Amino acid sequence: MNEAGPTRGDNLGLAALAVAATYGYFLLFAEFSFLSQVRELLGEGRGLRGVMAGLGAGGVGGSLLAWGRFRPERFVRELSWSYLACAAMAVISLAASGLIGLTLTAAGIGLALGWNTVTLASGLRALVRPERLGWGIGLGTGAAYAFCNVPVIFTAGPAGQAGISAGLVLAAAVGLWRMEPGWFRGPTVSRVSVWRWVGVFLALVWLDSAAFYIIQQTSGLREATWAGESRLWGNAMVHLGAALLAGWCWDRGWSRGLVGVAWVALAGACFALGANRSGGGTGFLYAGGVSIYSTALVAFAARDGRPWVAAAVFAVAGWVGSALGIGLAQDLHRVPVEFVLASGAGLVLALQPWRRSGLVALALLAWVRPVRAEEGDPLVARGRAVYIAEGCMHCHSQYVRPGVKSDVERWGPAHPLTELLRGAPPLPGNRRQGPDLTNVGNRRSAEWNRLHLQAPRTVSPGSRMPSYRHLFTSADGRGEALVAYLASLGEGTAGEHWETALTWRPPNQAGAVTAVQAAKLFAQNCAQCHGPQGRGDGPLAARFLVPPPDWTSEAWRRVPDGDEAGLARVIKFGSPGTAMAGHEAWADDEIVGLARHVKMLHK
Amino acid sequence: MNTARITIAQVATRHSLIWLAAANAVGLWLAASLLWPELGDLVAPLTYGRWMPLHLNWQLYGWCALPLVAALLHWYLDAADPRVVTQARFALGGWSLALLLGGVAWLAGDTSGKLFLDWHGWTRGVLPAAMVGLWAVLAAHTWRRRGSMGRSERLVRGIPLVGLLAVPPLLYVSTGRDYYPAVNPDSGGATGAALLGSTLGIVTLFGLLPFMLGRRRTKPAGWFWVALVASWGMFAGMRHGSVSHHVPGQIIGLGLLLAWVPLLPLYWRRFDWSADSGRWLWAAWAWWLLLVVTGWLTFLPGISERLKFTNGLVAHAHLAMAGLVTAVNALVLHTLGGGLSRRPAFWLWQLGCAVQVGLLLALGWVENATAGALFRSEAWTQAIYGGRLAAGLAMAAASALWLKEAWR
Repeated sequence: MNEAGPTRGDNLGLAALAVAATYGYFLLFAEFSFLSQVRELLGEGRGLRGVMAGLGAGGVGGSLLAWGRFRPERFVRELSWSYLACAAMAVISLAASGLIGLTLTAAGIGLALGWNTVTLASGLRALVRPERLGWGIGLGTGAAYAFCNVPVIFTAGPAGQAGISAGLVLAAAVGLWRMEPGWFRGPTVSRVSVWRWVGVFLALVWLDSAAFYIIQQTSGLREATWAGESRLWGNAMVHLGAALLAGWCWDRGWSRGLVGVAWVALAGACFALGANRSGGGTGFLYAGGVSIYSTALVAFAARDGRPWVAAAVFAVAGWVGSALGIGLAQDLHRVPVEFVLASGAGLVLALQPWRRSGLVALALLAWVRPVRAEEGDPLVARGRAVYIAEGCMHCHSQYVRPGVKSDVERWGPAHPLTELLRGAPPLPGNRRQGPDLTNVGNRRSAEWNRLHLQAPRTVSPGSRMPSYRHLFTSADGRGEALVAYLASLGEGTAGEHWETALTWRPPNQAGAVTAVQAAKLFAQNCAQCHGPQGRGDGPLAARFLVPPPDWTSEAWRRVPDGDEAGLARVIKFGSPGTAMAGHEAWADDEIVGLARHVKMLHK
Repeated sequence: MNTARITIAQVATRHSLIWLAAANAVGLWLAASLLWPELGDLVAPLTYGRWMPLHLNWQLYGWCALPLVAALLHWYLDAADPRVVTQARFALGGWSLALLLGGVAWLAGDTSGKLFLDWHGWTRGVLPAAMVGLWAVLAAHTWRRRGSMGRSERLVRGIPLVGLLAVPPLLYVSTGRDYYPAVNPDSGGATGAALLGSTLGIVTLFGLLPFMLGRRRTKPAGWFWVALVASWGMFAGMRHGSVSHHVPGQIIGLGLLLAWVPLLPLYWRRFDWSADSGRWLWAAWAWWLLLVVTGWLTFLPGISERLKFTNGLVAHAHLAMAGLVTAVNALVLHTLGGGLSRRPAFWLWQLGCAVQVGLLLALGWVENATAGALFRSEAWTQAIYGGRLAAGLAMAAASALWLKEAWR
């Protein structure tokens, strides 16, 4: 868009109003009030994610639509219509309900907003001279952020915020309606540079969205950032000041330094929050960083003025970056240090490829703790995360098939499918290189699991499991978390499991392995705890709180002759309350043969 | 064939085979780790479970997917464009970079915990991003060529292109921990409808492949598309959601695939494949026959209970990916001029794959009754796992031979 139209002086105020209306609508309505309304109606679950996906998809679609439709001569009309569409969606949202209705509404909001942002950024040079663009955008951006932080606005209910947002965009539409644009010449950026900058903004939006989600989901961080009138007024001032300063710097050509400062502010805020230093200046640091890059993002697209550049910035960096950031935070419940550092390294390499030294400075930040969101039942939840990270599911299933007798007999009661599907993610697995773990908390004591995880083949000779000793030697408590998780599996089904165990008898036709085979089985699989002669003096015996008994002692010599079935039961299912684990998967003839061998040791 | 097209095919072949070789190397490591678990102790914390996603995902998104990317590039790119090779390299490089980053993340323990959908956390968006990059290249070339295309050609190319645009967001969404497909409540595995849908997807892809590869049709084949639409209609009419394999509708619906055992080869024979493609075609049909028949049989009540959670299903997965998909992908790359023409490597692979599938299926058949022996690493189970490792070595050697051929 380098052609010059009739020059009439610029409309800085009108440009600022337009930017403020767009940002205000996005912040107050799309990002806050609409999603609050969805949370109220659908809760925090898949439904909310579906709605957010609809919003993002609509945003990308709207950006592409604006790119395709943009014509300089139609700019004012297009922009006005896009504002009206935004207002209409805000009104419609008040009546939306149900997953499908809310998802469609979200897609409509995204579509209108995507159309609006790309149209606005592509045409801002019709309102302001390029050398004053930054100032106008900074003023609009800062005003929008400040306005949203005014306590009475911030604390208004979703319906009130939707109404205020609709009013904002209607005001912009009315202001623009009769405006005669005059196009100003300005520089364009090379294609390679455009994509470099899109990458830079993608990293910043990704980082901001992830941090924002964590702050919003963590009550302590949320309160420290947005609680109390004085805090909100402070935020408003910081937003306005930072955005104005950013605009001023942008107009002086300090664009690279500006996004660098924005990254440092955001990263610093993340690190400080992660280190539980959430009070004082941390929230202001975050607010400042957000305002600076928000100004730069619009200023970059507007200064170039080509619709495809604006579409790339808003679709890729804006909408996709938001989705990636929120997805990252939802997946990990934290902003990993590595990610923050990688985003910074990306910025340095994209904008200052000759300044490798910047990477060294970034590396110095690696000691800081990441931001974390709250998790319910932390130890078990952490243990489940360890289970997933270590890939336990590749050898262990967690699914008892209800109609398969051997499954129920070996691994305990089947659980309802709905229970499995409540897991995020469900972990049914598809292989059994080792036992099923659905009810392992009923079948193995915590001390047995702890020992087995550290030295699997010492406890279960022949086990194909590698040692997880490293989980217990590291200071982060992953091993104990995993033990806690395993202990939690099968809660509520212990009674049912032991009922099955106590009524089990070896089938009449089972037979028994030979005495020689049974002795070999005992030596290989039992002697490490019970000792070669059953005296309870195996090398592992001392490792257990309740050591194995000495079968040669007086009390144990009285095992009645007819109790072979009872011994077989203990061998197959273990002994509750002790470290004696069952051998559920062994063949019946092996169990019976071993029971006879054990009886023989009671002498 | 145009020089640029040959260059792109060679680059795509190298990318594909690098990932095949890498995934096979990880597979060998896994097979060895099962035989000698002490190996896992030596490399802790990079234990068995950390390596598994690399093997699975590099096979699926690397070796199984990249030859299809090569076919897409062949079909869509304008070979007259002076930047075409660079852009193809960009698309393939982005894809490989995504796989590499995924591997790093999985080894670090960053995984969604969902089989074949392990992309998680900071890597969740990398493969979708690579897909968007590929799509942008395909779309730019289609746009550039739009003037030279008739209305029907625009439709034939445009509709799949629009469809492809849905893949990155779908992948991104499906890797989320909150999303999980329907589960057969009686097996804990896939439902009949899901198995039918995924296999019909493969049939549809196989139906498009001859066109994408520019093969000339020698006889009419409209019946194929009629049968395909009818099959999809039957799929649509099936019960979806968490349905048991004991429900007759699921068994009958999945049994529909048996009709495709002869139909697919008959359809492909209506195109003019080069004379030296014959062995790959025959291999593909042999594995296709085995896959469909055993796939349906293992779904049946009684057999499913016996094989689920055992090495029998691992055998079935190898049959599908190392058998059928490898044969078809090799045919694709070979047709495009990417090589894979060495006879010894061909037989080494087929033999290795057949031995591996046979051994694992045999072990799976008795595994439920002898699980204790498997858990205790009894000698006979070690022998079978040793045989599997040897077969894997043969397959890895074959992939190394193909890679060597591709680098000439």
